[in-house]
Amino acid sequence: MRSVRGSAINDTNIPMDIAIVGVGQTTPVRRSHKGIRQLAIEAVQLALDDAGMAASEVDAIITDGVIMPHTVPREFIAAQFGIERRFDGGNSFGGVGVACAPELAKLAINAGKARTVLFYFGVDWGSRASGPYGFHDMYPAKMAFEKPYGFNAQPSYFALWARRYMHEYGMTDADLAAVAISHRDNALLHPAAQARTPMTLESYRAARMIASPLRVPDCCLISDGVGAFIMTSVERARDLRQPPVRVLASSFASEPFSGDDIFTQQPEIFRVTGAHSACQRALREAGITIADVDFAELYDCFTISVLMQLEDLGFCARGESPAFVRERGIGIHGGLPVNTHGGLLSYSYLLGVEHVIEAVRQLRGAAGAAQVSKADIGLVGGWSIPDYGVLLLGKDQR
Amino acid sequence: MVVDNPEFEPHFSHLAAGRLCFPYCMKCARFHWYPMPLCPHCQSADLAWREVAGRGTLYSWTEIHHAFDARYTGPLPYIVALIDFADAPGVRLVSNIVDVAAETLTINMPVGAHFGHAADGKPQVTFRPL
Repeated sequence: MRSVRGSAINDTNIPMDIAIVGVGQTTPVRRSHKGIRQLAIEAVQLALDDAGMAASEVDAIITDGVIMPHTVPREFIAAQFGIERRFDGGNSFGGVGVACAPELAKLAINAGKARTVLFYFGVDWGSRASGPYGFHDMYPAKMAFEKPYGFNAQPSYFALWARRYMHEYGMTDADLAAVAISHRDNALLHPAAQARTPMTLESYRAARMIASPLRVPDCCLISDGVGAFIMTSVERARDLRQPPVRVLASSFASEPFSGDDIFTQQPEIFRVTGAHSACQRALREAGITIADVDFAELYDCFTISVLMQLEDLGFCARGESPAFVRERGIGIHGGLPVNTHGGLLSYSYLLGVEHVIEAVRQLRGAAGAAQVSKADIGLVGGWSIPDYGVLLLGKDQR
Repeated sequence: MVVDNPEFEPHFSHLAAGRLCFPYCMKCARFHWYPMPLCPHCQSADLAWREVAGRGTLYSWTEIHHAFDARYTGPLPYIVALIDFADAPGVRLVSNIVDVAAETLTINMPVGAHFGHAADGKPQVTFRPL
């Protein structure tokens, strides 16, 4: 490959690999006295400092396409940091916006449209009165046909799935508890994690029921916070402060279901739409197989969500994820470490931006007590129903 | 006045008349739910409403113990169910199972429709085990 070192932009036709060179996240909290815009400024500054870059080196900003434009729009961040943008983009929403930001950044960098891309994402759903529930007000059929029956919150959707899954595959509350406990064990290894109380099967079963069979520990946290990361070419990354973390692949996939329909009308109710396609495309692009993945940071909005994704991403077959968790293990020292920071269930609920940041920590070998012993390739799964995004990250092996 | 989703209205006028009806595509002869301008199976706009008998089976259910949203707070706990209909394959309806203890519910049990009104006067259909 011809060297493009020193070139301001990719003016060759040779694809450039990109890397994540800086990450930052505000301290996980349920409610912050700071507004979401202040939190975003702090996260972006942390990411710049981590990379050892000045804001003036950033020439493009990407966010998700739905949530950030209403709370912390890109032009606000550009104006606050003095960033002159040559490229700008929003994609999908929430978790898929996060996991597929590198896909968009790579396209822009390879097209010569940008050199250094900033991504940030966060929510203030800990402080907002209707929290994550109000987010689904954007779906008119939910407003007309579901919310009047008290089917008005994400835990109730996933509870219906969990109950049916129990019926079809013999899952028990102990299987759900195993997922919750593994996440909490991981969170206890991170000083910044939001949930800090140790969990046992007994304490799980004593926890308050939210939407049966889901209890408090089956449901993700609610948080205020923002995370950010910075991407540039691997060539440029090698001159920066941190060991580069390569973007091996970032793939979006979806299926023709609207947000109104997807929770109730999909014929195969447990299928995570887009997950299989996004994962296969990402593995192909990276030239690896699922067996090469050393750890996974999955969109754990609920315990049942983790189980469904393990199946659709191809780590195990449909109906086998409870046995996978029992037998192969998803802890730090398990066969497939999952959500090594404690995830949305126990670390923070910023819809997966913390998953990318944790994967970067692992691949830098900087995850402290939660460090996975062999962390060469990590998978981040972003889920924004019906979209799915798979991000594969790897150590820079030059 | 702007009506955002006029395709929703027939469901409620049928409920007010004691009929449970779902959208049906005249071109591909399949039901769908929710109401929408085009058939999600074949993209036809040739849609009609078809009445079902009001007997369904319990696809899944949950008992809600938490008041999630201050805008929708009723007496806790209550049961939300997803209901299948043999005479409207492909439709799964969200409703409440009423006048029953959650412990007695089982997946696939038969349930029957009862017509009534929500607190705001809007027509509603709820279900009881048959």
